[in-house]
Amino acid sequence: LPSGLSQWFPALEVLDVSGTGLAELGAELLALPRLHTLLAKNNRLGGPGSLPKGLGQAPLGRSLRVLNLSGNRFAEVPPALLGLRGLQSLSLGGNRLHGIPPDIQELRSLEFLYLGGNFITSIPPELANLPSLSYLVLCDNKIQSIPPQLAQLHSLRSLSLHNNLLTYLPREILNLVHLEELSLRGNPLVVRFVRDLTYNPPSLQELAGRTIKTRNVPYAPSDLPENLVRYLSLASNCPNPKCGGVYFDSCVRQIKFVDFCGKYRLPLMHYLCSPECSSPCSSASQSSTSQSESDSEDEASVAARRMQKVLLG
Amino acid sequence: MEQPVQTETWKARSLEELVRILHRIFAEDKVCVEEVQALMESYESNPEEWLQYAKFDQYRYTRNLVDNGNGKFNLMILCWGEGHGSSIHDHTDSHCFMKILQGNLKETLFEWPEKKGNGEMTKKSERVLRENQCAYINDSIGLHRVENISHTESAVSLHLYSPPFDSCNTFDQRTGHKHKVKMTFYSQFGERTLC
Repeated sequence: LPSGLSQWFPALEVLDVSGTGLAELGAELLALPRLHTLLAKNNRLGGPGSLPKGLGQAPLGRSLRVLNLSGNRFAEVPPALLGLRGLQSLSLGGNRLHGIPPDIQELRSLEFLYLGGNFITSIPPELANLPSLSYLVLCDNKIQSIPPQLAQLHSLRSLSLHNNLLTYLPREILNLVHLEELSLRGNPLVVRFVRDLTYNPPSLQELAGRTIKTRNVPYAPSDLPENLVRYLSLASNCPNPKCGGVYFDSCVRQIKFVDFCGKYRLPLMHYLCSPECSSPCSSASQSSTSQSESDSEDEASVAARRMQKVLLG
Repeated sequence: MEQPVQTETWKARSLEELVRILHRIFAEDKVCVEEVQALMESYESNPEEWLQYAKFDQYRYTRNLVDNGNGKFNLMILCWGEGHGSSIHDHTDSHCFMKILQGNLKETLFEWPEKKGNGEMTKKSERVLRENQCAYINDSIGLHRVENISHTESAVSLHLYSPPFDSCNTFDQRTGHKHKVKMTFYSQFGERTLC
């Protein structure tokens, strides 16, 4: 960037240096107090020093709303940009990212995050701490699983996951009330019922905790060490409606299929408190293939109402 | 559209002229597919002429009506953000012409699923369409999915459907199950439609 930039154009609001072959964006950026949109796609950015230090502390840290760095050579999300507290839209599509840093949660104002076309293998649960995120694109990556915490993204309207390595989704995904678009094609989603293979029996602490919860054994904070009081507060309810039990760390992972409007069958991962809780309808048909037919009707209808556009096909 | 009565070689020098020639062609009883395809390809995309119709949506691709062809055809502009794609769909017994105005679109052709089929749909072919190319499809050729696979560039395409239709079927690639959907316009004649 030319060194006189901020003197010639102090009121600059939009800067587009896409396709110019730039290998670094220098400190000239820091002196532009009104810049809200910076487009630098299809360049040679990605090495150390691609972005100037002190980005977050500069006026830019508060003014920048849109940053497009797609089509560059970033192998990691540049830490310098995590200080852009006012950033609403970030694109790093078509780079060489292998992961997403947990500190992504510092971009408190982020609404639009495009990370398609990278080499990302997993998603940090901290991504769920972005309260305004409404559009999340993770297509064309190497993602194998979605952390259930993503269900906390209450503002999420569109989630793009196509062309990854997903075999199932966490059941919590049904909690995304505003989700209208979900793309899942090009994933090796399991299509047949899968019985869980690993189940670690509960520890004595867990068994004691379960008993206290299910029998409503009264206790006061003064009765127990603080760590056990906390532990007891973390009990999860078994989703099996016939069970009413709780579990802490030891649970059965099971894939159940949820129908959307009778059209699509999504494999969702359920956590149940014991192998005996395998299915609410386990008293009915027992054969492993027809098990997938007896899905929870309630879950399906709720999900169908919420997800209006599941782009699976 | 059956046997060509007289195949003309048209050259549309502007979007306006393209629309005018289309009206003339479709006023006839018989229209030739090759003629329309050649006409669409002959128009060299000039963004100044269509920018007013190119309204993008952050979340998904948009359909923007340009001309309703006196009821004989619909001409519309579709805007595809990075990564935006359609489901696999049919064309309700109509002819579909798709010309790229900007960027690139990947078209994947699929066989119709078996009536009793309950398995993965069969891919026939795929190709990437470049600027100014025009593709053609109808139900007898098969089904397709259209997507902008670029993560850096948006894409704009010009579509002609004859006769016009406002609903079609979308298909689940894994099972072949179909579902009827209604199609809507994001804008009409350059004005945003709110509904």
